[in-house]
Formats: sequence, C-alpha cells, structure tokens
Amino acid sequence: MRHGKYPFIIGFLVVPVALYVTFVVWAYIQAFYLSVYEWSGLGPVENFVGLGNFRKMWDDTLFWQSIKHNVFLLIFLPLITVVLALIFAFLLNVGGGHKGGVTRGVWGSKVYRIIFFFPQLLALAIVAVIFGRVFGPDKSGMINGLFPDSWSPWLFLADERYAMGCLLVVLVWQAVGFYVVLFSAGMGNIPTEVYEAAAIDGASRMTLFFRITIPLLWNTVQVAWVYLGIAAFDAFALVNIMTVDRGGPDGATSVLSLMIYRNAFEFSQAGYASALGVVLFFLTLTFAWVTLSATRRESVEA
Amino acid sequence: MTTITKTPSTTALSAGRAPEPRRDLKIATGLSHVALVAWALITAGPLLWVLLASFKSNTEIFLGKPFALPNQFSFETYANAWSDAHIGRYFLNSVFVVLISTAGTMLFGAMAAYVLARYKFPGNRAIYYLFVSGLAFPTFMALAPLFYILKGLGLLGSFTGLILVYIAYSLPFTIFFLAAFFKSLPYEIEEAATVDGASHVRKFFQIMMPMARSGLVSITIFNIVGQWNQYLLPVVIMSGPGADQKLLLTQGIAQISVSAGYQAEWSTLFAALVLTILPMIVVYAVFQRQIQSGLTAGAVK
Amino acid sequence: MTDIFTKSELDRRTLLRRAAAVGLLATPAVSMLSACVGGSDEGTQDQATGTKSADNPLGIDPKAGVEIVIFNGGLGTKYATDVDTPLFNKKWPEAKVTYSQTEEISTQIQPRINAGNPPDMINNSGSKLMDFGAIVKAGQAADLTDLFAAPSLDIAGKTVAETLVPGAVEQGTYDGKPFAVNYAYTVFGLWYNAALFKKNNWTPPATWAEFTALCDKIKAAGITPFGYAGANASYYMVRALLTSAGKIGTEQVLKDIDNLKEGAWTNDAVKQAAEAWAGIGKNYINKTFLGLRHTEVQLQQNQDKVAFYPCGSWLENEQAKDTPSGFEYAIAPYPSVTASDKLPATAINAAAGEIYFAAAKGKNPQGGKEYLRTMLSKEAALEFTKLTKSLTVVAGASDGVTISPGLTSANDAVAKAGKDVFMGYLFDTWYKKLDDESRAAANDLMFKDYDAAKFCERMEKASQAVAKDSAITKFTRS
Repeated sequence: MRHGKYPFIIGFLVVPVALYVTFVVWAYIQAFYLSVYEWSGLGPVENFVGLGNFRKMWDDTLFWQSIKHNVFLLIFLPLITVVLALIFAFLLNVGGGHKGGVTRGVWGSKVYRIIFFFPQLLALAIVAVIFGRVFGPDKSGMINGLFPDSWSPWLFLADERYAMGCLLVVLVWQAVGFYVVLFSAGMGNIPTEVYEAAAIDGASRMTLFFRITIPLLWNTVQVAWVYLGIAAFDAFALVNIMTVDRGGPDGATSVLSLMIYRNAFEFSQAGYASALGVVLFFLTLTFAWVTLSATRRESVEA
Repeated sequence: MTTITKTPSTTALSAGRAPEPRRDLKIATGLSHVALVAWALITAGPLLWVLLASFKSNTEIFLGKPFALPNQFSFETYANAWSDAHIGRYFLNSVFVVLISTAGTMLFGAMAAYVLARYKFPGNRAIYYLFVSGLAFPTFMALAPLFYILKGLGLLGSFTGLILVYIAYSLPFTIFFLAAFFKSLPYEIEEAATVDGASHVRKFFQIMMPMARSGLVSITIFNIVGQWNQYLLPVVIMSGPGADQKLLLTQGIAQISVSAGYQAEWSTLFAALVLTILPMIVVYAVFQRQIQSGLTAGAVK
Repeated sequence: MTDIFTKSELDRRTLLRRAAAVGLLATPAVSMLSACVGGSDEGTQDQATGTKSADNPLGIDPKAGVEIVIFNGGLGTKYATDVDTPLFNKKWPEAKVTYSQTEEISTQIQPRINAGNPPDMINNSGSKLMDFGAIVKAGQAADLTDLFAAPSLDIAGKTVAETLVPGAVEQGTYDGKPFAVNYAYTVFGLWYNAALFKKNNWTPPATWAEFTALCDKIKAAGITPFGYAGANASYYMVRALLTSAGKIGTEQVLKDIDNLKEGAWTNDAVKQAAEAWAGIGKNYINKTFLGLRHTEVQLQQNQDKVAFYPCGSWLENEQAKDTPSGFEYAIAPYPSVTASDKLPATAINAAAGEIYFAAAKGKNPQGGKEYLRTMLSKEAALEFTKLTKSLTVVAGASDGVTISPGLTSANDAVAKAGKDVFMGYLFDTWYKKLDDESRAAANDLMFKDYDAAKFCERMEKASQAVAKDSAITKFTRS
C-alpha cells in the first residue's frame, strides 16, 4: 500500500512547485525586498533607502491621481456592473411570468445570453483597441459618427473630465454579460417552488426580485463584487492602449498598474515600481477584506 | 454548472394559482425585451461597426454614418492585415504559446492538485496554502522582479520564458479548483485499483483523470481563455531586442493601433481586429455552453 | 527597455534619435549596460595593409577582400548591394567584397567581435543594435581620423570631413576621436503642402508676425492652420518649441536642458518660445487633435485640412501611401520668435544617425574604412537618398536633383541654414520621465492652458526632480 508513496508525491510536486517558486513566490518576495531599495534595475542592488520610496510616493502627485482613479473604478465598476447584470439576469430568468405554475425566462433568453456573454471572451487589449476607435474624437469615431453633423464632436478620451468615465464604460461593457450568465446560473438553482409560493401570495415581480432573488444570490453577488474590484485595480491594458499619451491627458487616466509598469520598464526605477507594487498589494487585500466583512450576512441556504 | 433556466416543478400546483393579469404581463414582458434588445445592440454594435469599417476606405470612415454599408467589399485589407501587419504570425504565435502553456498548466496543476488533495504527508497544507495564497497577490506587484528573474535566466523575449511564466501564474487557481474537485471524488474505485496493484502514477492517469473530466474541461477552458487574452505578461516578457517576431496577438493588435507603420490605414486595423475576433466567435458558437460554464465555474466555487 | 509604444515606433525616427543619442553618450555609464564586449587577448590577426599614396590615402591592400555587414530594416540593403559595392569595385576591382545582411546585428556580430574575428565594416542598427559606447570602450571600433582626413572620393579638393554637414563628425566622436559614421540625416521643421500654398499665394513665414498673419489667412480659408497629434506625438511639439528656444538663445539653451542645469527651463528663451507657441495653440489648433494619433493628423494634412505640421523628414515616406498626387511636401524652418533671436530664421534642427563603423580587429580595417569613404562619396550618397528616401550627411549630395519634393525641400533648407544647423537635445532619450512630463506639458500648453509660465515652471520642477533623484543615471553633453 504505502510502497513508493513518497517518491511519487515528490515526483508529482517537484515541477509545479519549482515553477511556482521560481516565477511567482520568488518574484513576490523580491518585490517586498526591492521596495526598500533605490534600484534602477541595472547592476547590483544597492542604495538601501528604507521607506524612502514610500516617502517619494507620498509627495508624488501622479501617485495620488492614480489612486483616485483606481478608487473611482473600485466604487463604480462593481456597482454598475452588478446592478445591470442582476436586472438583466432577472429579466431573462423570471421576466416571462408564469405558465403552468413555472416562472419562465423571456422568449429568446438563450440568444440574449450568448450575445451578452461574448465580450468576456475578448482580451481587454482588443477591447481597448476597438473602443479607442469607438470613442474617436472626430467623425471617424463610431459615436461621433452617429451624431448629426451639426454637433461639434465630443472629445471623449481627450477631455480629461470624461476620459475616466469612458474607461469605466468600456469595463462595464465587457463585464456585464459575464455576470448576467453567472447570476442566471445562480437563479436557475433557486427552486421554482419558492417563486411559485410567492406568486400564489400575489407577490409582484419587484417583490420577487428583492425578497427572493437577491437574498438567495447574495453569495454570488459578493464574489462578483470582489472580482470586479480586483479588475478595477488593473485596467492597465485600457489605459496603456486607449488613452491620450498613455494615462493622459496630463495624468487624467493614470492608474497604479500603469505607474508600476512605466517605472519598472521605462523610467528604470525598479525599486520604486516594487514599492508601488507593495502598496497595490495591501490595497487589494484591504479591499477584499472590507468587501467580504461588510457584506457578510446570513446567507440564505437555498 | 450548466445554466439551467427552469426546472419543471415536480409538484405542479395546477390548482389555486392566482390568475395573471394578461395585459400587465404583456407590457412587462415587452419592456423586458426592450431593455434586453438595447443591451444586445450595445454589445454587438461596436463589433458590427468594426466589421463594416474593415471594408471602408479612410475617406468613407471619415464621413460619419458608422453603420452605412461600405461601397465595396474587397478582402484586400484582410490580406494586408494578415501578411503586412503580421497578424498571421502573431496569431500562430498565440496559438502555439497557449496550446503548450495550457497543456502544461493542466498537467502540472492536476498532478499537484491530486497529490495535495488525496495524499497525507508532512508539508501538504503548507504547499497547498503556498499555492492558494497566489490568488491574493496581484500580478502587477511582482512585475519588475519577474522581469529580472527572467533576464537572469536568459529567458527574456523567448517563448520558453513566456510559457513557463504562464504556467506558473495559472497554477494557483488551477490547483485551488482541482484540489476541491479531486477531494469530492469517491475513494472506492481508487482503493479497488490499489488492491489490484496499480501504481500511483497509473491510478492518476487511468482512473482519476477520466473521473475528473468535467472539472478538467471547465478549468482548461478557463485557462485557455485567460492565457489567450493575456496582455501584460507578453508585453513585459516579449520585449527587448528581437522580440518583434514573437509578439502575441494581443500585443500585435495593440501595436498596430498605435503603430507608425500603417499609415493611418484604419481599415487594416479593423481587418486585423476582425481576424482576431472571428475565430473567437466560431469557437464560441460551437462551445458556448461549455465556455459559459467553464468561465463561470470558478466564480461560483 | 522598450515598451509597446516606443517599440511600435521603432522605425527610422526612433533609431535615428537613439543612434544620435548613443553617438553622444559621453559618460562611462554606458559600460553598465549589457553588451559585454570582451576584447579577445589573442592579439589581432594579420591585418591587410598596402602602401599609402594619393590614390590610396588609407593605404589599403588592393587585393585584400573586405567583409561588410548591413542591417536589413527600414532602409533596405539595395544601397549597399547595388550602389556602394559596385562603386567600391570600380576603384578596387581586385578587392573582393563579401557581403551579408542581417536583421539582428548583435546576435550575428557580437560573438564574432568577442572572438576577435569581426567583419571589416558594420552597419550597427535596428532594434538589436550593439551598444556602440561599449564597443568603443573595448577598443573594437577603428579610429576613423585618417578616413575623415583623407580626400573625398569624388569631390575634388576637399577632405571627407569637409564634405559633411556640420556636426556629422562630432556625432560619432568619443573622447575626442571619431569612431563612427552617422550616415543618415533627419531634418526637422514645419511641413506643408507646397502645391496648396502656391495655389493660395501663401509663402512660408520667416518671422512670428508673418506666421500668425498667415495662420489667420489659412483659418479664413477654412483650413486648420497648425496641428500635431496629442494622443501619441506630442514630442513633435516639444521639438518645435525647443527648436524655437534654441533659435532664440542658441543651442546652449538645449545643452543646459540636457544637463539638467538649474533654471534651464525657466530661461527667457524657453519662456519666449513657449509664449509664442501657446498663442498658436490658442488660436490656430483644432481641439480634436488632442485625441488623435500622428497618422490621423498626417492624413488630414494630406487631405488639405491642416496646413502646418511639425515633424522630421521621414514624414513624406511615411505618408507615401496616403499622399494624393499633386500634394507636394515641403519644409519651412521654424520662424524667428523675436527680432533679437541669436540664430537666423534659416537655422534648422537636424540630426545624424544610423551608425556605420570599421572594426578595429578585423582582417582588413583599412578596407572597411575605404568602403566607408566610398559611401561618403557624393555619388553614393545621392543614390542612397534616392533608394531610401532619407538624406545623408554628405552635404549637398542631392543638390539640383529632384528626388522627391519633400527631400529636395529638406535638402535646400539645410543648404540655406549653412553653419546654423544644430543637433537639438537628448534629454528625451536619456530621461524618460522628463520626456513624459514634457509631452504632457506641451499638450497642456497647446490645447488647454496656453500658459507659458506654468509650462516652464512645471518642466523646471520635473527637471530638478530628475536631477535630485539618485535613482536615475545621469548623462552630460558639451
């Protein structure tokens, strides 16, 4: 029975563990280590600065701008996406009323789901390229092209007041379909008897939605919230590809991920980039913890 | 994890139903459709626009009227995009990298997950948590060190380096998901095989893998989509001198969109986009159920 | 470290700028960079030599073969195979030229250099170019003093050095000795459509007052007078602004900026230039350009929707596919900002790039230099320009020959500028962060604030932040 257990265990674990430790664990450990050095990325790691990089960050206006933009996405991306996805999922699954005692989805719900879900399959980089043109600031852009000729074109990404909003729209556009499908799956698992019982009591659709659907989906919503929040900390592809002057105009769309990338690979400031990375790590962790504890409630066992 | 919309009620209550007011229902259903159709248009609109614009000349694109039909349908721009803009090469690069790295991820991830899920040994939990903790760490954090690690190993700008990194960064989720899956599988068959004197390795490949098929399929799809859509890692790793032949599709498209080399030929850019999206649509049309469930599987866990 | 953005621009423009930068790195910091150019201690192999004479100023062995390696990229290789080699063999029929081309210079050549067996003449270019500063330090590049002192192959009575545009030799000079020929030449200025201007009787301005008056006329004709692409080409604008500053207060202004000297950006010359340009931004720019990429604005110029566009001489070739017949590219130097500008209105910013060098430890270094002397002949230079649509550092090589309207115009502009050709600045390649800030600040100045003082202070602050940041490697130039 026990014959050769350990060689087998070691044999099966050695490659994955080696890969993981080399490229992931070691990199994360180094990120913490480098964050207290002022290192350009060339030559030996010297110039220990302690918290110098973090002090530099404190005085770095671009850093605070980037944080502000990340927080903006962090608040609105999950909020708008989850609300829209819940509404659509509800319409798809329960919107068709009842027949023979069964609440039905609307006609064609499968087709809707297929269409909605598709953007999820596209890389954010591809989506960024598409929307870079959709938001073109002159007639060649899709939206400006739809406007009547008499309107002066909207600048979209070139207007610092709206650029961040444009990015949010793109992220929402891509994410909604995925969560519609996710919530639909969750709603599909809610026993129809529950709805039927409520319907017998003469509950309106609204009541069904708020009193039954949402509470029973609470866990899934929570997960969605965390996922979307983590996505809000990224957005690198969008900012790097779509925006004016990458993060502009004048820093109006800079985000933490772009700052990390540029400091590491363009400004030769690997130490500072690692320090920014450490900050990002704590922000992500804090966000996940806050979300999970703030939304903790009696989850209704379906 | 399938997307069930309705389960026929086992206890159909044919009696005592509150009668539906028909008109109200019609309006509500109508409104539902309006909302759903609106979102479907918003989703499909930009993609359709890209398709139309790929046949238009620059002058036509400038006219506005984004959804007007192009004057002519010629596939010249597609030929340009495929060869001059190297979309063909980028596409094959991506296919190659994703094939190998997904296979590697699945093999090594399943091996590690299996051992961690079903064998007791000292350090088991430690290794498991080491892997799973990777879920909490943002990739961006380790960007600079990762680059220098690869540089040190001489793997920058090489497919090998990229594939190894893809595998390493896909392991946490794969192991987290599959370990739970392997745990849930019954032990009896395995025990029977042990009695028959099957080796550990054989048990894994001949008994456990087939039994875990549904979980493996889900997570394979998850990894394929995730790795196919990676942008950050290739941008970091496929950089430096000589990497221009080895760009992946996401990078390549992004580069064309900002590139100097394409003389504002938007139609070429749009054609390149269509060439990128089209295979996704085809694959999706065929496997949409599996893809939907595969991608959402992770979130439900 | 390139990124998706600069990589996508790894065309002639970046290479030229980068090569120019490499050519001027006057600091040992370079040695920190990767290229590990180990001189082999094998001693050198037997090198071919001949007897010097008036006809053979470099003293090459007429029978010894010469091996050359050309980078195959934006410039192609035809100029070497179809022009330079036949010309070389016309003079030296018995010297066999062994030619090879590569897209990856360092991959192919670096190992051979390290092994002490390099080709005789190397075109160091492309995204895989070798670190030339390190090559010079390792003693692997031949001293070209005798080449530049030798008589020109086909320009009577002049040495090779005397046939080149101002600054060409200096750009390949390290610690006082020339090691590289920077062969290609980029001219920067205001580009316009000469045909459109002729039709409307508009003449390119020489003073700022003329400039604004003309812009008013152009605006009245329903054309955007001036434009550049804010989304990814704001550095064209930075170059325009700093060229103006250089004309106001000589190139010293730009050297101070490169050297991060305190007050370099708040200098009066920079202020005046920023003020003048802010006025252009306020009155004559199309606001949507902030969101456009360079090719989009360039296309609009081809459609005669934009009159003036600040750019380098690669523009015509870059737009070749979209340029309608009848559109004639022409370049005007930036107009004088004040009446007391230290440089004349004809002064122009131009930079040499694209390195060719002879290997010090090859079999036939003198042969390699002789090949370079062939390249620097008037005939070879003219053919190079015809083939590549790029000017060369051989002064006036394409005078009187119509190659293409844009190049002819750029060539004339350089001739008119005479000695007032200046290289410009390098801070953008040295200090990426400062480059970034200058792009954002230029966009702000031209599209939003029109506030010169703010621009100067902002850049000064950024420049001093770089100067004080010990994490950034510093360079200097003189």
